[in-house]
Amino acid sequence: MKRSIAVALLAWVVVVIGFAAASEPLKIGITKIVEHPALDAVEQGVIDTLTAAGYEEGVDVEYLIASAQGDFGTAISIAQNFQAQNVDLVVAIATPTAQAAVEVFRGSDTPIVYGAVTDPVGAELVPSATDPSGNENVTGVSDMIPVAAHLRLLKALSPEIVTIGIVYNPGEANSAILTDMALAAAPSVGVAVVTATADSTANVPLAAQSLIGRVDAFYVTTDNTVVSAIDSVLAASEEAGVPFLMADPTSLAQATLAAGFDYYEHGLTVGQVVLNVLSGVGTDEIPVTYQPRAEVHLNLDAAGRIGFVFPTDVIEQASAVLYGGIVWERQAP
Amino acid sequence: MAALWIHAVEQGLAYGIAALGVFLTYRVLKFPDLTVDGSFVTGAAIASVLLVQYGVDPFTVLLVAFVAGGIAGLITGLLNTRLGITNLLAGVLTMIMLYSINLRIMGRPNLSLLRVSTATRVVDAAWSPLGPFSVLAFIGILTIAIKLLLDAFLRTEIGFALRATGDSERMITAQGVNTKTMKILGLALSNGLVALSGALVAQYSGFADVGMGLGTIVTGLAAVIIGGTLIRSNRVGWMTASVLLGSLVYRIAVILALRYGYVIGFQASDLKLITSLLVILALVVPYLRERRMRKVSAC
Repeated sequence: MKRSIAVALLAWVVVVIGFAAASEPLKIGITKIVEHPALDAVEQGVIDTLTAAGYEEGVDVEYLIASAQGDFGTAISIAQNFQAQNVDLVVAIATPTAQAAVEVFRGSDTPIVYGAVTDPVGAELVPSATDPSGNENVTGVSDMIPVAAHLRLLKALSPEIVTIGIVYNPGEANSAILTDMALAAAPSVGVAVVTATADSTANVPLAAQSLIGRVDAFYVTTDNTVVSAIDSVLAASEEAGVPFLMADPTSLAQATLAAGFDYYEHGLTVGQVVLNVLSGVGTDEIPVTYQPRAEVHLNLDAAGRIGFVFPTDVIEQASAVLYGGIVWERQAP
Repeated sequence: MAALWIHAVEQGLAYGIAALGVFLTYRVLKFPDLTVDGSFVTGAAIASVLLVQYGVDPFTVLLVAFVAGGIAGLITGLLNTRLGITNLLAGVLTMIMLYSINLRIMGRPNLSLLRVSTATRVVDAAWSPLGPFSVLAFIGILTIAIKLLLDAFLRTEIGFALRATGDSERMITAQGVNTKTMKILGLALSNGLVALSGALVAQYSGFADVGMGLGTIVTGLAAVIIGGTLIRSNRVGWMTASVLLGSLVYRIAVILALRYGYVIGFQASDLKLITSLLVILALVVPYLRERRMRKVSAC
């Protein structure tokens, strides 16, 4: 009698463990370097993509979300924590967090999908942008911006635009790369580029104001430091009476015009890569993905404040305008 | 889970070397030195450039970083003693200068060490029989060695002069000690340690970033003060040990906050709040214990 009870208990335990193992949700660790609208949007995009694909939170997948809050040491601790909790996949948003994840998970099977990294090859996350065979367990999406195209767009706004001023933080890897690209592309586009540096958010207003009277247009790339103080850049551009191009349509209300891609959409792209990896595609089969669609959005209210009129061909390119405080999107014909 | 504790101790000790540097200026010299936010990165920058571009041995770069930090401390010392710039401002000025200098050294704001042979990777391979403890052993031995060397130095004649400069400058000048030289020496030594820590942490993290020094003075002071609260002693050996303990407590608080924060429903953005609360908890327990003992002895 006792033995049969013991056997029954054992069988029950085995069944329960079996069920637990079978229905254990997927663990995905999402880490970002700092709280920031763009990075938060990427994170949301990833989660939404997975939810839409049928991965229900709490049932099929468990998200471990962490932010290093600007502390690089914490970025490492976060990656180590993910490793200790045996996550099945890591989503690393921004360059330092991605580097920390790659370092901690080096040599392991856990796939790492990075996002919002402008230069994955320069950051040595992967050895090549086009040939994925050396990726090991890393792949992801780059948020590289077509800087030259943006300069051309500014030039097309008005024949008076000859000198373009860029406010940036030389201490941010992404920003430094993009500004160097702008400086390199300027001669061929036919404009001059002047830079003003701000090493912290507090110094952004001063840097922006230093460009007043020296430039015919303001340009800001995806620089976390400057974007955090973007209102001051808009104020400076309006004081100078010149248009201000922001390379992130999410910030349209704080610029005269914005070009680029939405970071939420960037998050959707990252989510797609995650889905591919989860469905069995190897990370060493996926080359660096570049954000495809770039859009132009115009802020007619801001333009009105400086008495600026957009040329017709620019308006034709635009896929959305901000007018009367409302964003109007162009309907596909 | 054990792995997480190992990592906490690894980082606690690696950053503990920087905390020893902060201890030297803040506690011993009574000189609040803000240079460290810059010199931490200087160490990381020099080490990374030497590793990536010149293929220098990862252990030698630690020494070079130490020297580079020493120069940074020297600058602050000269600003303070020769130009009469007040201590806080001298440190801030050097720190600001170092921001640009560090960018020049690295050539770019972020330098990856993911594809070179860092000290941690070399040790991991060479001491593989120790398994997950190999890196911990290396960092532990390095940190203890530095601590013991510092203790020994503080017990030498020069070391005593340094301590006296912090305690009572007027008295020690009357005894014939050049306090200006002592300050410069103390600052150089301190920032050398901080830079060495930066070089070690960069190799541990797999990258050097010009922003990685932000908050070094804060975490250093936190370690010094937490340690000083947990171990009250005026003896050099115990004081430096308490600094390392303080650094460990802080890192463990971060790990605990990361690992168990979800349990109390906190969001990712609450990390720094939880860390501080855990540190307050760590300080409150011995404080309450002391108060209770005092009440008992009073009656």
